[in-house]
Amino acid sequence: MADSLDAYLVLAGALFAIGTFGFLARRNAISMLMSIELMLNAVNLAIVAFGSFIPELKADGSVIALMVMAVAAAEATVGLAIVIAIYRNRKTPLVDEYDAMRR
Amino acid sequence: MDTLIPLIAGLPLAGFVITAAIGRRLGRRAWWIPVLAVGASWAIAMVVVATALTGGFAEGSYTVRLWEWIPAGDFHVEAAFVVDNLTAVLLIVVTTIGLLVHVYSIGYMAHDPAGYWRFFAYLNLFMFSMLLLVLGDSWLTVFVAWELVGLCSYLLIGFWFRKNTAALASKKAFLVNRVGDVGFALGIMAIWVNTGTLNIQESIHVLTSETLVAFPIPVWVIALLVFAGAMGKSAQFPLHVWLPDAMEGPTPVSALIHAATMVNAGVYLVARANPIFASAPEAMVVVAGIGIFTAILAASIAMTQTDIKRVLAYSTLSQLGYMFAALGVGAWTAAIFHLMTHGFFKGLLFLGSGSVIHAVHEEQDMRKMGGLAKKIPHTYWTMLIGAVAISGIPPLAGFFSKDEILGEAYKLGFAWVWAIGVVVAIMTAFYMFRLIGLTFWGESRVDKAVEPNVHESPRVMTVPLWLLAIPSLLLGLVLAWPGPPLGSLLGLEGPGLLAGWLEPVYEHGLEILGRHEAEFAIFGIDGVLILVSIAVAVGGMLAAWRLFGVEIGSLRRRAEPAQVKSLSARVPFLYRASLNKWWFDDLNHLVFIVIGGRVAAFAWWFDAKVVDGIVNGIGAVTRRSGGGLARVQTGHVQNYALGIAVGLIVMAGSYLMIAGR
Repeated sequence: MADSLDAYLVLAGALFAIGTFGFLARRNAISMLMSIELMLNAVNLAIVAFGSFIPELKADGSVIALMVMAVAAAEATVGLAIVIAIYRNRKTPLVDEYDAMRR
Repeated sequence: MDTLIPLIAGLPLAGFVITAAIGRRLGRRAWWIPVLAVGASWAIAMVVVATALTGGFAEGSYTVRLWEWIPAGDFHVEAAFVVDNLTAVLLIVVTTIGLLVHVYSIGYMAHDPAGYWRFFAYLNLFMFSMLLLVLGDSWLTVFVAWELVGLCSYLLIGFWFRKNTAALASKKAFLVNRVGDVGFALGIMAIWVNTGTLNIQESIHVLTSETLVAFPIPVWVIALLVFAGAMGKSAQFPLHVWLPDAMEGPTPVSALIHAATMVNAGVYLVARANPIFASAPEAMVVVAGIGIFTAILAASIAMTQTDIKRVLAYSTLSQLGYMFAALGVGAWTAAIFHLMTHGFFKGLLFLGSGSVIHAVHEEQDMRKMGGLAKKIPHTYWTMLIGAVAISGIPPLAGFFSKDEILGEAYKLGFAWVWAIGVVVAIMTAFYMFRLIGLTFWGESRVDKAVEPNVHESPRVMTVPLWLLAIPSLLLGLVLAWPGPPLGSLLGLEGPGLLAGWLEPVYEHGLEILGRHEAEFAIFGIDGVLILVSIAVAVGGMLAAWRLFGVEIGSLRRRAEPAQVKSLSARVPFLYRASLNKWWFDDLNHLVFIVIGGRVAAFAWWFDAKVVDGIVNGIGAVTRRSGGGLARVQTGHVQNYALGIAVGLIVMAGSYLMIAGR
């Protein structure tokens, strides 16, 4: 079981689904950011799995995974900064009360 | 010559500019610059005319090129003056009558010191425009001058613009003229399309020469378009309605612009373009028909009008109709002959009527005149000469020109033009002597308050009258000599002075028409035609004497108002039609004000409701649908994220389904 690509992909898919659900269902902005991290990491897992099971890819999979981590870190920084800025303004972390675009 | 010819037109222009600039300060002395300018212009013109008519120009014409006006690719227009014999003849009329009217105006406008300088400035501007019109070398120059004389006419009709009727009349003249001018402008464009040049002589030459390629625009269309312009300016039916109203202007203006010069511009134009008309015989029939119809229409109206100036205005219309009839039948010399003689005697009659109006203190209604012959003898005698001249009694000027028109019309196969022309001749003699009878003979019907103050005009006004009376007496004789009809009676040979002058101008046109000089036989058909002309003129005169009285020396007869009344009661329809000018003003009111107003109102409604409605409707639909669609935008981040997720799933799913097949 441990040397099967499918197992990794199922795990990655499950993690991605959880992340998506969390992003769509949670109202708290911090939770939504965490869900995004979960999705990113699910994708990273899939990439690394592909990289180790398919020899033609050589080190490409690992490089892409590193790239995704860097981007994820940057995204988390920016996202948190935005959430903090909005929180200072609206005094709430709940995204369904961020409806200024509607007005 | 290179300096003299531009000076003819340049001096009045300078007079206008100077008077317009400093005239206000000169007050009552404002007349001397304009009169001097026109006087000098007249003297120069006479030199040029003498040179031209004695064959002083090698090629029959003399062109002064000033500068290239419009150099634009293959569109070249030169600013140039050209003098040929036709121009020379027109110069005689324009400058001579112009000068005399200027002198007359010194006296006539004396009681309007505030407008003095303005009046003379306008008159000078008109002289410049009119001279430019006859001297112009290209269609474009003529068109500019054409519009300028129209402008001057507008300014001078509305000279007393505080009077509502005068302001309205000037507007009417301007608008009606525009209708004709559109035709003229289109005609000029058509000429350029066909020939690629706007030079009058060159374009006529191209238009009338035999070419293998057909013109894009047929020549008869050009002829009719040019004639449309002539109809507007020369007030031919149905554009005749502006001229009678133009009598709201000061009387010298009526004499100069609306009788002797500007209204002749149309005749000049058609005569100038004679080869074009000669190549389009259909168009010539139209010209003849409209001309003779205008002649009889206007003459019938003139018989019952009571305003002295209006009678003369309708008479002018009628005589212009004669000229166009002559142009239409191909008797171009006769048309220009009548233009000249008519210019002098109608200018005389108008100036005389101004003197009468002056004498009875601005009263124009002939029913409030009568018995003025003794009180204003100079005016009376000169006007009597004018009336005899226009009636066509030999040997005065009108007889020769009118008889030539009628005789030529008959001999060239237009018997219907001749027949109507003879009827018009009776009417002409009748209404002229009705005018003389009502104004000068019989008992005085002048207001009791004005009666003792009736006075002859100052010498500055009577001298021009006498100076115009001389050509009214003799011009016909001089210009026809030694040709028919008198020359042949005395055994002299020759085409007559004017016919000789104009021969080179018409040579080309007559060649196209394929016409040769008809033999003149004083004891044949021509003698009969002359006798008929004289008989109808005398008949009309006698009829007027019988009804409206006569007092010349021992020749006396009392007016019979009762008989006039019973006669007009016998033909009530005709009488009312004549009195109401055949309801043309009412017809125009109906067509253009009432119906045209409705159409305009409908167009406005259409624009406001339908056109604007469509535009506004599109806006409203966009706004509403936008408002509806805006509800989709909740502003909640998660809704958008859901949209992205669903979209992604659908896309990925459909890809998998298609790829998996």
